[in-house]
Amino acid sequence: MTDSTPQGMHEGPAVGQDEWVARHAERRIMRKGPLGELERRLRLVPWWAWLVLFIAAFSLLPVFESSGYVRRVAFDTVLYMLLALGLNVVVGWGGLLDLGYVAFYGIGAYTYAILDSDKFGYHLPTILSVPIVVAVGALAGLLLGLPSRRLSGDYLAIVTLFFLQLFQTLTTNGDSAFGHDITGGPNGILNVDAFHVFGHELAAQHGGVFAVSYLYVALGFFAVVFVALRFVNESRTGRAWRSQREDPLAAEAMGMTVNWLKLMSFSFGAAVAALTGTLFAALSQSVFPLTFYFVLLITIYTMVILGGSGSQAGVVAGAVIIAPLLEMLRDASKSRVIFFVVLVVALAFAARRSRALALVALSTVVFGFAVHALCGGLHASWTAGDKAGGLAGLVAHWVVVPAHLASWIPPVSYVGVIAAALACTMLRGVARLVALVPTIYLSAFVWENVMLSKPEPARYIVLGLILIALMILRPNGLLGERRVEII
Amino acid sequence: MDFFIQLTIDALTLGSVYALIALGYTLVYGVLKLLNFAHGDVFMVGSFAGYGVFQVLGGANPKVPLWLFLTLVTAAAMGACAVLGVAIERFAYRPLRDAPRIAPLISALGVSFFLANSMQLLFGATPRNYDTFDIQNAVLYTKGFNIGNVHMPLLRIITIAAALVLMVALWFLVNKTRTGKAMRATSYDREAASMMGIDIDKVIVFTFVLGSALAGAAGVFFALRVPTTVSIGFIAGLKGFTAAVIGGIGSIPGAMAGGIILGCAESYSQGYISTKWSDLIVFSILIAFMIFRPQGLLGRADIRKV
Amino acid sequence: MKKATVLALAVLGTSVVAASAQGSSQSAAQRYASAAFNCKKQITMPLVTPVTGGAGFLGAIQGSWAKLAVQQIAPQLHLKVKFVLGDTPVEQGPAPAQALAQKYIGDPSVLIVLGPSTSGGVAASSAAYFQAKMAHISPSATRTSLTQGSPKDATPAFFRVVPGDYIQGPSDANFMIKNLHVKKVVIMDFQEPYSTGLAAAVDTTLKKAGVQTIRLSASNTTTDYSSYVTKVPSDADIVFFPTQKPGDAQTFAQQLIEQGKKAKVFGGDGSNDPAQFKQPGSYVSNFAPDITGIASDQSIIKAWRKANGNGQISSFGPPSYGAAQVALNAIAKACKAGHGTATRLSVFRSVKKVQIKNWILGGSFKWSTKSNDPLNAKFYIFQIQSNGSYKLVG
Repeated sequence: MTDSTPQGMHEGPAVGQDEWVARHAERRIMRKGPLGELERRLRLVPWWAWLVLFIAAFSLLPVFESSGYVRRVAFDTVLYMLLALGLNVVVGWGGLLDLGYVAFYGIGAYTYAILDSDKFGYHLPTILSVPIVVAVGALAGLLLGLPSRRLSGDYLAIVTLFFLQLFQTLTTNGDSAFGHDITGGPNGILNVDAFHVFGHELAAQHGGVFAVSYLYVALGFFAVVFVALRFVNESRTGRAWRSQREDPLAAEAMGMTVNWLKLMSFSFGAAVAALTGTLFAALSQSVFPLTFYFVLLITIYTMVILGGSGSQAGVVAGAVIIAPLLEMLRDASKSRVIFFVVLVVALAFAARRSRALALVALSTVVFGFAVHALCGGLHASWTAGDKAGGLAGLVAHWVVVPAHLASWIPPVSYVGVIAAALACTMLRGVARLVALVPTIYLSAFVWENVMLSKPEPARYIVLGLILIALMILRPNGLLGERRVEII
Repeated sequence: MDFFIQLTIDALTLGSVYALIALGYTLVYGVLKLLNFAHGDVFMVGSFAGYGVFQVLGGANPKVPLWLFLTLVTAAAMGACAVLGVAIERFAYRPLRDAPRIAPLISALGVSFFLANSMQLLFGATPRNYDTFDIQNAVLYTKGFNIGNVHMPLLRIITIAAALVLMVALWFLVNKTRTGKAMRATSYDREAASMMGIDIDKVIVFTFVLGSALAGAAGVFFALRVPTTVSIGFIAGLKGFTAAVIGGIGSIPGAMAGGIILGCAESYSQGYISTKWSDLIVFSILIAFMIFRPQGLLGRADIRKV
Repeated sequence: MKKATVLALAVLGTSVVAASAQGSSQSAAQRYASAAFNCKKQITMPLVTPVTGGAGFLGAIQGSWAKLAVQQIAPQLHLKVKFVLGDTPVEQGPAPAQALAQKYIGDPSVLIVLGPSTSGGVAASSAAYFQAKMAHISPSATRTSLTQGSPKDATPAFFRVVPGDYIQGPSDANFMIKNLHVKKVVIMDFQEPYSTGLAAAVDTTLKKAGVQTIRLSASNTTTDYSSYVTKVPSDADIVFFPTQKPGDAQTFAQQLIEQGKKAKVFGGDGSNDPAQFKQPGSYVSNFAPDITGIASDQSIIKAWRKANGNGQISSFGPPSYGAAQVALNAIAKACKAGHGTATRLSVFRSVKKVQIKNWILGGSFKWSTKSNDPLNAKFYIFQIQSNGSYKLVG
């Protein structure tokens, strides 16, 4: 899970890594033909070029998309990228399960709101307040790390979770802390200033529409954070982090100050989160306690794990995938498209992998039409639901969508599909292939009939499933390197 | 004095529910060294399963005698949770048994999230109220010990007594049976136990059955008095885990003591100090506990051999 | 060298593009605000309300009534309207309301928005709507400072069809003083915006009248109120319990009986749900009367029951019907004045001109001239009867 180079090529053995492990990536059998050639060429592109390309591509988005909403989603994605980068320091490099991470995001947002709003009338210039906020965040990270440094694993997780809870309690009740109103309590702080530098105000909205300049500011923050963290990771500290993550005892025996290293990683992560908090507060011009809570935490974790904790490029990729995905899943028609695109792509890939899987894919399609015809033949209303045009209409020829859903169908089919999927993991050989067909069909049925109508829980069910499946199937995520263990 | 006794009764009711949840954490932690984040949501599912059976058996007008009615509801919830717990272990934790310790933790977070939202998908966010109050003209609320201003109604007596019975049964299972012995051996040293011919998988499944069943019972005892929603799992789990830590994670009497202590801390801080800041007080105590005495009251300190 | 050139070019290109996008964003916003919308096209009308989460019942009720209003009234006004729900779970605080505001402002087919339902959501998103020159009408946000006092938490783009806590707080308190002759009242809040505001308003009025008050505060995640019940003095007359979770009010009332306390629970509009809060003897206040007794509403009630399986009519629903009615009429007025086209601004301006003869909550509807509140609106107080029904008592 190291990230000595994002492309996996190693330039030489690094401290804290075994030579054999370090050169693990190089021993992979490279693809032949033009694809392999392309891959080799791509690997030669340095990381900073990738970064520039990525940011350039991202900044081009507003040219093609004039909707304030889409731009706002893009901005939120950058916020998530930043948060994921920060969490990666703690989880990926430090190896510490920090469940209080979003509290630092909140601390950043609140500190900015206190420094720049009518609440106390301070209105510090941004150029001053942002560094202060980052310092406060780093300090808060140190403070949380201080008592936690003796703890590891689960205990650390729970103490940090309490810290998040404490943050919630303090901000919600901070409207009467010793008779002073500091945080505005549950009403939060309103009328927070937008960024303003040298007398120029960078308005957060133009006519209520998201001001695209904030997208660029966020991208700027992102570039700075990405590069800075990269240098940190390649420094002595970064190598020390990795070695204490792999084996704290050995690291300590080598004379590394393990406790101090843990504090550092807490502090770095917290500082990044706090920095992101300023952006959030300045854009939404308000802060509320409940924004910084468990759902957000899980979302960021999913990004880091999906992308590959430990790899900067990975966690950014995770954010770029998850943030728009969650947004699109809010909308039934987009949600439907996502499901069927994923399904078709997965079936197509499966078909290429082996002939048996191709057969499964084919029979799933046939099975669907057969069930649809059967149900339609038995009773017309069973397949009479949702005959809208577009993909919905197309899908309704394959999936059974009843006009009226009896109240027992959702729970039974939902539990059924879970049971079927779990059963598939236990079956072997032909039985599994046979069982896959109705399972896939049933999942399409559930998605179409149960999940689409309740986007809010459906979104988070998807997140939960991603987390569980990733941990089991590919704990290194998309771009994280596989851990090589030598016994 | 009346006030103090009444608060203590509140604390005991609250604490016995916490203790039951804490036992689940402690058992699983003892055997697997895994913080089962999904445990709070198993508790939530238990309260819903109990609700279902409660309604099937006639709701506020039970079709069977009251004692049998309550027993059936509790048993059903315990059974449902046991099945759920085993499924979670089999599919979400077992594949990760030899992975780095952070992996099952994250998987557990995923399971917790998945369960809470699945329940919301299926049953909505509307709170479910057992309507225990309406049973036979509020007999469970108004009968019982009423001395002066101190009220100990039947429902609370039942809750505390049932929790006690379950804990004693558990103690007996763990200390006096063969399986219990295997559990203790596994918790002491998994590898050595497996070399001694103990079927580790079986022990772990058994542990999950016990822990989850207790969570199911806790869910029912909780929801008999308070409306339940799909989102109670998070806070309940947090409290249960805290109770387990206070008592010393891995220690069964510790979990019971921890539950009661936590209940008292909540009740007394609300009663005597401030209702507004009681959460803060409780959480601060906990953080202090974790830092200064992570092995808890009755746990043994973790000595690492290199 | 070559790489550096490529890099420099990329950066240059990006900045040029960025600058141009910056310009286009401003014009896009203005375009939306003053864009003439052909009234024959399909209009989208969102209702921003908690659909999931602990207050999900609110979204279900409000959604069903607003949808009914759109179905019934839009055709009469010759409008084609698509009704959509925007979800703001209370557990996530007011932030989702902001994100939704962005979404609707960016959608040219939205001319006016219903909601947000919660005062916190209104405070968080009103500025964006105002900048977009788009009105938003809430059927249930009652915080006083949204429309009154200075500084206000909401902008002039915010309207509400129900009176605020400036009426609810005092009228609840006055009812306690005059009708119930209270001496001692326990006042709870739940550390969220709704209850803290209302509790403070009741507290002030009661104290002025010389009633002794005891303040208790529970966190929003509290489930078991036993020790709060224990803290209620045995000579207290009323526990004011302005929760948004009606089931909690029910539990609290039952636990008071459990401990032999004589105090009755008094809930605010947030606990007005006959399905969950039904402990006889308790009180509930609401901004809407029981509409089942209003003659002109019978056809509406029939239609609602037909669509919603004979569900119970709770007082939360009808104001959403009213809000949608006002919004639709505002669009129709703007369309008429604009000869078949309307803009967000013209709809915004015509909101205050709307008057409705047979108002769903009884009588007729007019706006107050001083603020964006309804004229002469009042709060209604119900007592729960032994069969669980709500009886109007004040």
